[in-house]
Amino acid sequence: MSERRVAVCGGGIFRPDIWRGENAEEGVAIAYRDMLDSMPGFDPFDIDALMMSYFSDHLNQQLCMGWIIQDYLGLHNKPGYRVEAGGSTSLDAIANAYYMIRSGLFDVILVPGWEWMSEVDTATTNMMIASAADTDWDFTVGGYYNAYYASLEVRHMQLYGETCEDLGKIAIKNHNAATHNPYAQWRMEHGKSYITLDDYWKSRLVCWPYRTLNNALISEGAACLLLAAEDRVKRYTDSPMWITGVGLGTDSMRPGDRLADFPFASFRDQAAIYPDFVKRPKTPYPEMANFGSMHVAALRAYAQAGITDPLKEIDIAELFTPYDGVELCFYEDLGFCGRGQGKDVVREGLCEYGGELPVTLSGGLTAQGHPVGATSLYQTIFLYYQLAGKMKKKYGPDALQVKGARKGLLTGHGGTACQGGVIVFERD
Amino acid sequence: MEKKKNNQPAKKSELKKEQTPKKYTNYPSIVDHSSEAQAKWAPWVRQGLWDIKGYRIVKGPAGGGTIDDSKMNLKEFMVIDRSEACLYSHSYGLVSLFFLGLLHGKLKGTKCPKCGTVYCPPRAHCWNPACKVEETKWIDMPLTGIIHTFTVQCLAAAPFEHMLPFSLGWVQVDGADTAICTMLHIPYKDMFIGQKVRMEFKPQKERKGDLMDMYAVAIPGQELPAWAVLQRDKQQLKMLDEATSATSRFIKNRYGLDNSNRGW
Repeated sequence: MSERRVAVCGGGIFRPDIWRGENAEEGVAIAYRDMLDSMPGFDPFDIDALMMSYFSDHLNQQLCMGWIIQDYLGLHNKPGYRVEAGGSTSLDAIANAYYMIRSGLFDVILVPGWEWMSEVDTATTNMMIASAADTDWDFTVGGYYNAYYASLEVRHMQLYGETCEDLGKIAIKNHNAATHNPYAQWRMEHGKSYITLDDYWKSRLVCWPYRTLNNALISEGAACLLLAAEDRVKRYTDSPMWITGVGLGTDSMRPGDRLADFPFASFRDQAAIYPDFVKRPKTPYPEMANFGSMHVAALRAYAQAGITDPLKEIDIAELFTPYDGVELCFYEDLGFCGRGQGKDVVREGLCEYGGELPVTLSGGLTAQGHPVGATSLYQTIFLYYQLAGKMKKKYGPDALQVKGARKGLLTGHGGTACQGGVIVFERD
Repeated sequence: MEKKKNNQPAKKSELKKEQTPKKYTNYPSIVDHSSEAQAKWAPWVRQGLWDIKGYRIVKGPAGGGTIDDSKMNLKEFMVIDRSEACLYSHSYGLVSLFFLGLLHGKLKGTKCPKCGTVYCPPRAHCWNPACKVEETKWIDMPLTGIIHTFTVQCLAAAPFEHMLPFSLGWVQVDGADTAICTMLHIPYKDMFIGQKVRMEFKPQKERKGDLMDMYAVAIPGQELPAWAVLQRDKQQLKMLDEATSATSRFIKNRYGLDNSNRGW
């Protein structure tokens, strides 16, 4: 295997919103152009292949949308293919591009990502997204993802004692951070003022314990990312963001099956503090409280990147958190703290701006926006400018810059974390 | 005489039979509640076929850059309404027996003969990697279990909206190693993780061989533990009362259904 390094050289944004008038190929072209404008030394003829990131076909009644995108950008004689993995789509596209460059067969790969999610009404969008759940066994019972994740969070709450207020604090952190992001959907809808716990309690209860402010937005938007091999990087950027660890993981399709989750049986040590008043399932980790796929993905990524204490060593993280309880659980599964201690991380403010490890300063899925195929690309671009120390150049004078950030973390997952991944970024 | 017989027009019933789509023609059909549904749905599918039904002109923010940039750049867009409907004929596969069981008010699971893991929902093959996808055996499950986790929904996907508000949960059926997703016909005030429940079935006529044929009710006489997640914070219960009442009012307005006095 080739030992050459792979870097993110930059990216472009077509900001997410509940509705965008431009259609997907035009949105991607605008994002692509945004990228080209930021990268004067880059020539489109340098692109070796495209890795196209989009989740849904039925939201737009269009199969093979990737072909439209590729020809609209005038890149239609290059190799190109589509990546689809539910919510993990955009992270997986970056991971696949990384593998291809790392293999030595390709030098420069463009990752366009997009999703147009408002063509059907919100309840129907939820239905179509929930058909990524098992349609014989889970979807069929009144469900949609919000309810599944709420159930997972209720289990975690029961076992480890976080409160609804803790979930509110995460929502407030992410929404207030998004007011500093001039591309964030929340800032478009709400403006620049901060929200408080009072606003949180007033927001509509969707599936207990989740309120509207805890949930991912429905968005239309696009982004482009450029990945290149070490020897090509200098032409495109003076502040490359190196990919130093990529870990992927999977778990059962149906969360109910995680009570007998054999591949995770060796993770029993995680269960040392399992409370005694609730029946212990056959395999106590991750069961329906935590996210095993993310845990193994993190272990793999950290091993590659040489990270042993993520909370101390990582400077900024953009987590994929469609619901705020997921962020709290991820603190545990990604090793920022022990299992059951996510609530302490929230209460001590360790993951707020100015804390030990600021998390999701872009606003994330609940406040920046969540057009599935573009979401992790937005978050990667956010990390790119953070690590480059150029936040204000791209995100304006209000932007939150983590000073001296060297290592960044990105996660992505789909389903109820049926599939997920973790990427570690580093600057020189 | 023989020839004349052949020239006679086919009987009406035979004609009708020929017009129905010939699916599964090489296989015997043992029970058929499908043809009727197919006939009923055909006009709906036809009505909803891919078509441009209407259009509107929408003026909105456009272009790249920041929010401020696109607010300065308003453009007119033409938005069309395009329909698409279809009817899927989907097989429940090797676990069809489970769904047949629901029709008869029975709960079925499977057990791996190698490692003994009991699956409900059933798997036709054991997923324990050590068992190398061993075929499982059918077993009858008891109609009792415990709540593994739950949520109270005030919003749902389109097909379930009219039933709001309701509780969804995962129940670990007694003897099973996994948990099954089901509706909980239990007031959320009394609901807790670990609560003993009994699985009940809709009246026979209403069953469709679908997981929704079944739901869980609380076994009476259980003490509500103080550690129960919804009992720890009475303020949350109050907020839930307000939210579910508002949801019931919304459903009454939209669907004319009164879901507020179902007792769950």
